[in-house]
Amino acid sequence: MIITLTVLLVLTSLLLTLLVLLHKGRGGGLSDMFGGGMSSGLGGSSVAERNLDRITIGAGVIWFACVVALGLLLKIEHGG
Amino acid sequence: MLGAFVNAFRTPDLRRKLLFVLAIIVIFRLGSQLPSPGVNVSNVRECVAQLESNSGVYGLINLFSGGALLQLTVFALGIMPYITASIILQLLVVVIPRLEALKKEGQAGQAKITQYTRYLTLALAILQATGIVALARGGQLLQGCTLPLLYDDGVQTMLTMVITMTAGTAIIMWFGELITDRGIGNGMSILIFTQVVATFPSALWQLKEERGWDVFGMVLVIGMVIIAVVIFMEQGQRRIPVQYARRMVGRRMYGGSSTYIPLKVNQAGIIPVIFASSLLYLPALATQFDQDQSSSVAQWIQAHLVSGDHPIYMAVYFAMIIFFTYFYVAITFNPQEVADNMKKYGGFIPGIRAGKPTEEYLSYVLSRITAPGATYLGLIALIPLIALALVNANQNFPFGGTSILIMVGVALDTVKQIESQLQQRNYEGFLR
Repeated sequence: MIITLTVLLVLTSLLLTLLVLLHKGRGGGLSDMFGGGMSSGLGGSSVAERNLDRITIGAGVIWFACVVALGLLLKIEHGG
Repeated sequence: MLGAFVNAFRTPDLRRKLLFVLAIIVIFRLGSQLPSPGVNVSNVRECVAQLESNSGVYGLINLFSGGALLQLTVFALGIMPYITASIILQLLVVVIPRLEALKKEGQAGQAKITQYTRYLTLALAILQATGIVALARGGQLLQGCTLPLLYDDGVQTMLTMVITMTAGTAIIMWFGELITDRGIGNGMSILIFTQVVATFPSALWQLKEERGWDVFGMVLVIGMVIIAVVIFMEQGQRRIPVQYARRMVGRRMYGGSSTYIPLKVNQAGIIPVIFASSLLYLPALATQFDQDQSSSVAQWIQAHLVSGDHPIYMAVYFAMIIFFTYFYVAITFNPQEVADNMKKYGGFIPGIRAGKPTEEYLSYVLSRITAPGATYLGLIALIPLIALALVNANQNFPFGGTSILIMVGVALDTVKQIESQLQQRNYEGFLR
C-alpha cells in the first residue's frame, strides 16, 4: 500500500511540475513584486489554458490526497 | 474607511477577485502545515520546541516560509527559490548581453525571461530540497536535537521527500501566478506577506510570555511608530514636472499636457534588504557544512558574521544595503532611456534642455534622493539587530525591519490596486 502510494505520489509530483511549467508565466521579475510599476496585462486566458488549469487542479488534488494518506500510513506503521 | 470595504465587497467583480485570493491563501497556509511524507512529526515538534529561539542562520528563510521550513512541510521551501531565481536573473541581465537584448525587446522578451526564471526556480528548488532533507537526515537541521527527524534513512524516502517538496514549490509558483492573473495585486508578494504575517502573532505572544506586559506594550508602541515612519517614507516622492509640447498630427491635436515623473524616495523597495540578507547568510551557511568548525576562518565567521549583535555584522549589513539600493535603482531606472523617450514625444522639463542635460539632471536628482532612501532602508533593517543588543530579544523580533518593510510595502501596493479598481466605479476609496 505504502509503495503504491509512494509511486503515485512521485508520478503526480512530476506531472504537476510539468503542468505548472506548461502554464504561461504571468507577472515576472522582482521589480513587480515589491512596489514596482502597476502592470496589469489583461489578456484573458485561452481555452487551452483553461483546460490546463483543470488538469492541474485535478493532479493537485490527487497529489494532496497522496501526501495526506502516505503521512497517515507511515505514522500508523511506525506507531507514532 | 469601513464603508470602502463594504463597497469593495459589493462590487461583484472585485468581490470575486478578493475571495479568490483568500481561497488561495487558505490552501497555501494549509499546505504549509502539512508535513511531507516520511517526517516524524512528533519528533520535529519536540525539537522545534527545544530550539526556542531560531538559530540566526535560518531566521530569514524561516521567516519567508512562515515557519514551514523547520517543520519540513510540503511547502517548506516556500517562495525562497523563486526569489533567489529572480535575483539571479535580475543580475544576469546586466551581465549577459543576450538577456539584456531580450529585456529590451519588451513584452515578448520579458515573457521569455519569466520562463527562464521559472525553470531556474525549479532547479533551485531541487537543490535546496536536497540540502534540507540531507541536513534533516544528518540531524543538522535542528542543531542540539538528537531525535531522528525522519522515519527511516533510506534513499527512497529521501527521494520521495525531495520530489514532493519540489512539486510543492511548483504549486506555490502557480498560486502566485494565479493571484497575479485573476486576483488582486502581485501574487508572489502576497504569498510572502501571508507567511510573514502568519508568524507575527505567535512571535508577539512569545515576547509577552517571556517579558510580561510592559515590554509587550512598549514594543507595540515602538512598532506603531516604525510602521508610521515606513508608510511616510514609502509614500514620499519627488515630482519632476514634465511639459509636453502641443503638436498637430493630421487634424488632431496631441500633447500640450503637463505631467510629472514621480521619483520615489525609496525607489528600490525592499529588494536591497532581501539581497543583503541573502548574501550575508551565505558565509554562515558555508560554516554549517564544516563539521567541527575548527579552522580559524570558520571561527571568525561564527564570531563576527552569524550573531546579529556584533558591530561588524551591523556595519557590513548596513553598507551592503546602501550599496544594493544604489545598484538596484541604477538597474531599474535608466535616466538616459527616460530622457530619450521624453524627447521622442516632445516632452521637456521646464528650464532644462532636452537630451543630454535632461539625462544629467534626472540622474543628479535620483542620486540625491536615493541617499536618504538608502539610509532609511539601512536603519529600518538594523532595528531588530539593535533591539537584539539592547533588550536581548531574539532575532525574530516581531517588529523586525524586513518583516515590517514587507508587510507595509505589500499592503500599500495591494490596497492601491484595490483602490484603483474601486475608483473605476466611482466609489470613494480607502486612501485620501
